[in-house]
Amino acid sequence: MSQTADVRMQILEANRKAAEALRRRFSQEKTLVVNLISSPGAGKTTLLEATVARLAGKLRTAVLVGDIATERDADRIRRLGLPAYQILTGGACHLDARQVEGALARAGFGALDMLFIENVGNLICPTSYDLGEDFKVVLLSLTEGDDKPFKYPAIFTKASVAVLTKVDLQNIVDFDVEAVETQIRTLNPQAQVFRVSAKTGEGMEAWCRTLELALAAKRA
Amino acid sequence: MHEASLALELLKITQGVLAEHGGSRILRVKVAVGELSAVEPELLRYAWEAVTLESPAQGSVLEVEFFPARQVCPTCGPVQRSPGSWLPLCVSCGAPLRVEGGDELDLLEVEFDVNGEKS
Ligand SMILES: Nc1nc2c(ncn2[C@@H]2O[C@H](COP(=O)(O)OP(=O)(O)OP(=O)(O)O)[C@@H](O)[C@H]2O)c(=O)[nH]1
Ligand SMILES: [Mg+2]
Ligand SMILES: [Zn+2]
Repeated sequence: MSQTADVRMQILEANRKAAEALRRRFSQEKTLVVNLISSPGAGKTTLLEATVARLAGKLRTAVLVGDIATERDADRIRRLGLPAYQILTGGACHLDARQVEGALARAGFGALDMLFIENVGNLICPTSYDLGEDFKVVLLSLTEGDDKPFKYPAIFTKASVAVLTKVDLQNIVDFDVEAVETQIRTLNPQAQVFRVSAKTGEGMEAWCRTLELALAAKRA
Repeated sequence: MHEASLALELLKITQGVLAEHGGSRILRVKVAVGELSAVEPELLRYAWEAVTLESPAQGSVLEVEFFPARQVCPTCGPVQRSPGSWLPLCVSCGAPLRVEGGDELDLLEVEFDVNGEKS
């Protein structure tokens, strides 16, 4: 004899609970937490290097970075004299909330104003995992092609900030910036879109100001 | 390829449901997968087949109900669209549209054998 149970729960319920616990903690500690998501090589670490270097002296920041292998990205941040901790996922294509919780316990960052979480380079899988962040940031570099928001709509609907990176390459690659911004706004009319070059510094000020405003709002 | 991690979570949850109801074997699992859930139904089915080997869910059917996202005009309401295509503006009044729903990633039902008998 067979029986059917009505369940109705999220498949990622365990992650959701862990993320909610993190969110409560970040809210008590008044730390702004940003989850950066992009395909490999879009420029997450480079943007973070430029960002934490700009904010250093003013704010206490730290970077948690997820990769399948190597400490390279955390080393790049530490070379600036700023705290970073590498999470090695051992093959997993995304970070989950428990990994963040464990990494924070081991990293011993102390009190922070901003915590940046660089997710594993992947435009799909990290989308499903809440890490307790205040918001997700999706990065799209000009070399990836201007059809990506509609090809990977999930992350663009979930990220409240989109950063178009490597805009210094605009005259070298065929990339219709306006068309991409239209795609992003179609998927998420509230999204803030920035055009940034970590190399030339273009757009860095507006991006950093948004972070500082978000921190101020969290502390208000 | 996080479908494998998702299938593992699903197996954990459904085994819990089975134990709670004193069932012996999982026959069918029904899930909701939204258009914006970043999950490929076909890959989830393959992953389910793989992770359920040697488990009480081996050979069970993973039924996937697909939920498209909706585009909604603030004045005219939901507009007609087909999954995968996005309208830049409302076809009737030209207003920007909101995207709603489509992020479902839920377990809906678990069907199982009780008393070890086959259904
Ligand atoms: N021209 C130009 N190149 C950039 C810019 N930002 C990053 N790059 C280059 O892009 C490459 C990848 O940058 P990373 O910052 O390592 O990218 P990532 O997203 O962290 O990569 P993964 O962590 O491997 O996913 C590097 O060679 C950078 O020098 C930019 O603003 N302009
Ligand atoms: Mg990196
Ligand atoms: Zn309308």
